[in-house]
Amino acid sequence: MATVELKNIKKVYPVTGGEKKEKKKEMLPEKKTNLQITEEGVVAVQEFSLDIADKEFIVLVGPSGCGKSTTLRMVAGLEEITGGELYIDGKLVNHVAPKDRDIAMVFQNYALYPHMTVFENMAFSLRLKHLPKAEIEKKVQEAAEILDITEYLNRKPKALSGGQRQRVAIGRAIVRAPKVMLMDEPLSNLDAKLRNEMRAEIIKLRKRIDTTFIYVTHDQTEAMTLGDRIVVMKDGFIQQIGTPQEVFNHPANLFVAGFIGMPVMNFFDARLTEDGGKYFVELGGVKTELSPEKEARLKAKKVASQDITLGVRPEHVDLTEKGIAAVVDVSEMMGSSVHLHLTAQGRNMIMIVPTVGMKNIPAMGEAVCFGFNGSVAHVFSKETGENLEF
Amino acid sequence: MNRKLSDNTRGLIKLTVLRVIVYAILIFLTALCLFFFYLMIVNASRSNAQLATGFTLVPKENFFKNLVNAWNDSSINIPRGMLNSLIIALASAVLTTYFSALTAYGIHAYEFKGKRMVFTFIIAVMMIPAQVSALGFVQMMNKLHLTNSYIPLIIPSIAAPVVFFYMKQYMESVLPLEVIDAARVDGSGEFRTFNTIVLPMLKPAIAVQMIFSFVSSWNNYFVPALLLDKAEMKTVPIMIAQLRSADYSKFDMGKVYMFILLAILPVMITYIFLSKSIIKGVTAGSVKG
Repeated sequence: MATVELKNIKKVYPVTGGEKKEKKKEMLPEKKTNLQITEEGVVAVQEFSLDIADKEFIVLVGPSGCGKSTTLRMVAGLEEITGGELYIDGKLVNHVAPKDRDIAMVFQNYALYPHMTVFENMAFSLRLKHLPKAEIEKKVQEAAEILDITEYLNRKPKALSGGQRQRVAIGRAIVRAPKVMLMDEPLSNLDAKLRNEMRAEIIKLRKRIDTTFIYVTHDQTEAMTLGDRIVVMKDGFIQQIGTPQEVFNHPANLFVAGFIGMPVMNFFDARLTEDGGKYFVELGGVKTELSPEKEARLKAKKVASQDITLGVRPEHVDLTEKGIAAVVDVSEMMGSSVHLHLTAQGRNMIMIVPTVGMKNIPAMGEAVCFGFNGSVAHVFSKETGENLEF
Repeated sequence: MNRKLSDNTRGLIKLTVLRVIVYAILIFLTALCLFFFYLMIVNASRSNAQLATGFTLVPKENFFKNLVNAWNDSSINIPRGMLNSLIIALASAVLTTYFSALTAYGIHAYEFKGKRMVFTFIIAVMMIPAQVSALGFVQMMNKLHLTNSYIPLIIPSIAAPVVFFYMKQYMESVLPLEVIDAARVDGSGEFRTFNTIVLPMLKPAIAVQMIFSFVSSWNNYFVPALLLDKAEMKTVPIMIAQLRSADYSKFDMGKVYMFILLAILPVMITYIFLSKSIIKGVTAGSVKG
């Protein structure tokens, strides 16, 4: 249990001599990522500031190459910090070795020691601390019971399934009762069913071991379900920090809006108009008044009428008798709902329609109309992509 | 239906013929490899006079006589020679493998300036044959008063670029960096991580390189012949050469063949014990485990 403070953390991977030109050539034309390349090298993380409270569960989420794993590895001490300060439990630990940080880490590919049994894997760190044999056995047994792996203690990792291996990896971390538990995409190697099961296990585990968690994932569902707060990252920068609900309901910019939520948010070219202190969005000739809260926020920021990118989540769009015209491209029956893929205003969009009370599913090529409530419309600046409300 | 059946039969015949050809080739190659061992055993059972009559595939009755003659030869001391060779070969094999693995680990697991250059340099050393530097090496050993010592035969073998390269390639396929990171987070120091986590993971590669290093050191004639001239320090290859160059009155090819047979025994025993690991090591990395 500990607080973790990251103050203006920066990570630059130096590129030297011949490698410099090569790396620049490699990275620039192909645009694999938009990471900044300076004279110092490739900037993987910058301006990263975050205060993590004791026992908080923080999830770093973002696409590949956004710097989330690098940040986690800097907290672990596995990556040198180029700039900024890192405090664990109030102590500056920038130059403290991983073993002295009182942290534990779970890796994506389990990183178990293949020549050791499950017991030996879990006991390794305790043996290094020269704990008495009886205590080691007790701690390993307790952790194994929590994770339901007692029967595998004498097996080697290769005799275990992916899910069991990940449990062992988690077990290895929790036997140490670390101040901070770090998890680097621990569920990414598991199949969808096992991932859901393990997600629930991690939620239960969190309640039992009661420590500070920093969890890295690229899966927004994991982020939403696990985190007390989510840190959305892109190109080495923090895009937004907030509770899952905040990030979902009030995305700070187009990237966050598109990244969080499944299916992804629909975006349209629309116009925001201010008329007598009220704000409207105009799309396809239909004017929708924004909710009073949104209007208040826009008013406070003195947002003027302008062309915007309008964002509406698929679950917030309704089929209506009259409204914005669209054509059905594909309909996907999901059981409890139908995902309608539409073309509207020259853009592709998705709409989730509950099957309960639905008389007939619109056919491919059928013309339909849709609308949305003013409380669920997100207005983004056309120039910057920022949410105009914040 | 009939046509399908005939296609199937034809396919089966084709497959069988192909297999017969493949097995025939493999049997031929195996026989070719083993033939020379057989020939050596046959020759070790023939007297010098019988050997002079030419080539035969039938073993003769002088096996034990040759063994006794070789063992009792006053010019060489076989047990001493074998012990000398064993000390040198074992020490070189252990040190070469350990330090090559350690160097490879350094290049594999750490990021540092000039890493690529260091790697290229080590690989470049592979291209230099030992004979090129032999003269200078012997001169240096003379100046250091290290002739008639095992040190110059053991210590320089630690710098083995080929073993290093093999270890490095093997690590790429079996040693994820996360395992090293996990050990660091678990509180393990760098050397402990190498000795308790990395080395056991490299077991098959170590077995392969141990035997290769052992064999090359066991068979090494060139450098020991330049550095060792005390009778009690001589190694097996020097003694074999000595037997072969004996004067007319003492020359006995039967003894020479018997000594060669004795000389390959330790290598064969080592191979039998390590063969499982060797096969694993040779095929390592070919299939993702």
